Amino acid sequence: MHQKKRLELIIERMALARARDILEDAGVTGYTVLSAMAGYGAGRRWRRSDLSTAEEMTVVIAICDDEKIERALKALHELLEAQIGVLNVSTVEVLRPDRF
Amino acid sequence: MFDLALATLLSPVVLFFVLGLLAGLAKSDITIPEAVSKGLAIYLMMAIGLKGGFEMAASGLTGTIIAVMLCGIVLSFALPAIAFFFLRTTTKLPSVDAAATAAHYGSISIVTFVAATQAVDLSGLPSGGYLVAVAALMETPAIVTALLLAGRSKKAAQQNAPAQQSAPTGLLREVALNASVVVLVGALIIGWVTGETGKAQVEGVFITPLQGVLCLFLLDMGLSAGRGLRNGWRMLQPATIGFGIYMPLVSAAFAALASFALRLPPGDAALFMTLAASASYIAVPAAMRLALPSAKPSIYLTLSLGVTFPFNLTVGIPIYILIAQYIAA
Repeated sequence: MHQKKRLELIIERMALARARDILEDAGVTGYTVLSAMAGYGAGRRWRRSDLSTAEEMTVVIAICDDEKIERALKALHELLEAQIGVLNVSTVEVLRPDRF
Repeated sequence: MFDLALATLLSPVVLFFVLGLLAGLAKSDITIPEAVSKGLAIYLMMAIGLKGGFEMAASGLTGTIIAVMLCGIVLSFALPAIAFFFLRTTTKLPSVDAAATAAHYGSISIVTFVAATQAVDLSGLPSGGYLVAVAALMETPAIVTALLLAGRSKKAAQQNAPAQQSAPTGLLREVALNASVVVLVGALIIGWVTGETGKAQVEGVFITPLQGVLCLFLLDMGLSAGRGLRNGWRMLQPATIGFGIYMPLVSAAFAALASFALRLPPGDAALFMTLAASASYIAVPAAMRLALPSAKPSIYLTLSLGVTFPFNLTVGIPIYILIAQYIAA
């Protein structure tokens, strides 16, 4: 097995396009977007609303090299200064390192 | 006159909304599946767009219609400035939250409009289909005013600097290609072009069942409003909640003046007042997350969907119909 970094970004739906651009510009070869169902933050429970995309949150998962993660982190940090979201990076083991 | 107002208040549409609202507040587990809910929303946009288009095919485009459209655009630009003034003088909201909230009150809620259309029909008042076009025109100018208001505050501008770099294209797409605007305007044009022939072909699906489908949709809206209010009421000060109730009346008063000046028939005046009084909770919140991300959605969404929407649906619409009948008389 080979070590890689796993980036998990929870971000509001309206800022997803910007986050995707950042990851692609940093050279990330692939990522997966999941839709969040509900959560709690800033003293308030929220759930995915059927009405407005303003309340929707998404989860972006990407696995790649350290250097690509570093390239993306600065821009993602700037994005999260304005938009609602949470970012974490962890070390994971993958079977096929050439894919990332 | 008051009997009509009471009949509106006790119509199945409003009562189903109240049922949903109470169920949402009481943490009931009623759930309308998301796909059904989104399908119903598209159906309603198509139905109301087609209805307006068919009526416009019959009435044509007159000088009064163009004047109402222009009044609608002017109101959508102006109402956020008035709302911003009230919010800044009566509440402690920061300017960026006040600007984002104000944008919602210049824009419109198409579901409130659909409910008002049904109430006006129930009251036996004829109304022009062109008001659907007015609704579409009033959706976006408020966003521009809100951005100008927020931009006046240097602090707000600094807070939003990172977002403004990426916002314009996304914001334009969100506003111009918003699903409700595209379907509504598209259906209006299709209804206008196909006229009576088109109406005969689709009325079995889009006109006759509208009341029943609206009951189902408003049950879902009531659930959303109740849950939003339950989760977000702590974010609202009493003065802010008060704003969510008196601002629709202020907006309706401006529309009533315009209706009086243009000598609109009572059905048209009631719908125009409803448009001015309604607050957006679909297009504008999404646009505000891009344009003013430091504004708190828990404030403007809770206020618009949890306070103003239920107020308009239960109390506001009957009041607007009464005022429209009074000024027409």
